Amino acid sequence: MRQEQFVARHQGEWSAFEHWLDLRGDARRSRGQPNDTGIADEDMPARYRRICDQLALARKRGYSPQLIARLQQLMQRGHVLLYRTPPPRWRLALRFVLAGFPRQVRQQAAAMWISMALFVLPLVIMFATLQARPEVIHSIMSPQEIAGLERMYDPGNEERLGRDSGTDWQMFGVYVMNNTSIGLRTFASGLLGCLGTIYVLIANGIGIGAVFGHLQQVGFSDTLWRFVVGHAPFELTAIVLTGGAGLRLGYNLLAPGRRSRVDALVEAGRIGARICLGAALMFLIAAFIEAFWSSIETVPAWGKFTVSGVLWTLVLSWLLLGGRGNTDEA
Amino acid sequence: MTRAKLDTYREVITPEGVALHLPACGPVPRALAWAIDLSVRLGVLLVMLMGLGLLGGFGQGVGLVVMFIIYWIYPIAFEVLWNGQTLGKRALGLRVVAADGGPLGWLPAITRNLLRVVDMLPFGYAAGLIACLSDKHGRRLGDMVARTLVVHVGREHMPSLAPAQGVYPVPPGLQPDEQAALAAFGERAPQLTPARQVELGDILSPLTQARGHAGVLRLYGMANWLMGRR
Repeated sequence: MRQEQFVARHQGEWSAFEHWLDLRGDARRSRGQPNDTGIADEDMPARYRRICDQLALARKRGYSPQLIARLQQLMQRGHVLLYRTPPPRWRLALRFVLAGFPRQVRQQAAAMWISMALFVLPLVIMFATLQARPEVIHSIMSPQEIAGLERMYDPGNEERLGRDSGTDWQMFGVYVMNNTSIGLRTFASGLLGCLGTIYVLIANGIGIGAVFGHLQQVGFSDTLWRFVVGHAPFELTAIVLTGGAGLRLGYNLLAPGRRSRVDALVEAGRIGARICLGAALMFLIAAFIEAFWSSIETVPAWGKFTVSGVLWTLVLSWLLLGGRGNTDEA
Repeated sequence: MTRAKLDTYREVITPEGVALHLPACGPVPRALAWAIDLSVRLGVLLVMLMGLGLLGGFGQGVGLVVMFIIYWIYPIAFEVLWNGQTLGKRALGLRVVAADGGPLGWLPAITRNLLRVVDMLPFGYAAGLIACLSDKHGRRLGDMVARTLVVHVGREHMPSLAPAQGVYPVPPGLQPDEQAALAAFGERAPQLTPARQVELGDILSPLTQARGHAGVLRLYGMANWLMGRR
């Protein structure tokens, strides 16, 4: 069959399909609207497959590229519509937070433990070193930084804990922007064969260990611990989790196993996206606690420690027990 | 034996058994789209910060949250919710799709945008550029890990009628892709300058047995014959 005859025979069908795509393609906009396109919604897949057939025929018969381009465009629009991702639903999001995310974390337990070791060991070693040899702090932080740090946690500072100046909201913004960005970068830099993630984890461990160790040494331990215990369960855990996701990514690059390297990376990328989604939520909660609860000066130490204990229990039982038993997963 | 083609499209076989041709996009349009996005993001941020600056500490805090949203969430949300396009990509006629031609899901969008961190290394998207230039389908590292692809959005070509009415029989033995090339000439040549038409037509003088304008007319005739215009 010549191209002109082919076009003449099927032109109407193509226009009708295009019309349907224009009017009914967007499910949200067309909801409740009467369907006057001449194609019932449930007939669309059949119409789509006919267009696929015609495209294959047109290619086989060597029709002009313009015609093929038009058919392909129709087909692609149908393809995108038929195979689109389901819209996000609140129920699914809730199920992910409560069950899917903890399960994902436990599935990557090995990476998470290694990440924790890379973060906690430098922290503890740094803290202990500074108790024995306080002068080491000067090889890590500049005098200005030390002075700023001491000002933030000075017990004589009556107003707010853990900050120089700034209101609760301002600090909330700072924590959201800085801490979450650090977490997300910890994951992404894992693509450099784990090296980026390892560097970020160790550097943060040393940095936090130095701050804690120095403040403990100069006798500001009361204000320090009253400030940090509240948000630590969320913030420190989230850093470890993004680190674990980054290690998984780098490891899959270095040792893909019985898959192609790209397949292994894609798998790790999916895992990483899920973990970063949950970790971003944890960073958000941590920023909220850090800005509005941790900094309150008037709450006594026992109050802060009790709340911290409750939060640690919540976080750990969420990660260790969440989603056990049911395995239905989208 | 088929020879490798110079085209940059990626061929994907859909579940219906039809090959989908995805025209992969190179680094330059993507960089331009990114630059447009950057200026839009900076502009919005600047306006927001000026407005929020009047509110003191509260405003600064909200401003930082806005900065977080614009930095991290803007590309993810736009690409998933707006057919794979950010504002810059829309301006340049680009779209992010899954590597199988399907629409972009949430997880791939998150992965490809988080991994910008690595593509930006060591400065100015150098790693991404090298990956993009060495990959067959112009993907940066984030695209490879997320299994996504940036494609050109097809522009609708209105096939113009062949200017010549004559019909000239095509010599037998032409392959389908050769026939397609002739038909394409018939539809697209009217958009070219006459000199370029003649230049292209002369390449086919062994087929048309004519040179210059006469050769071009014969090619139009063959295209008409192939299309079935009698």
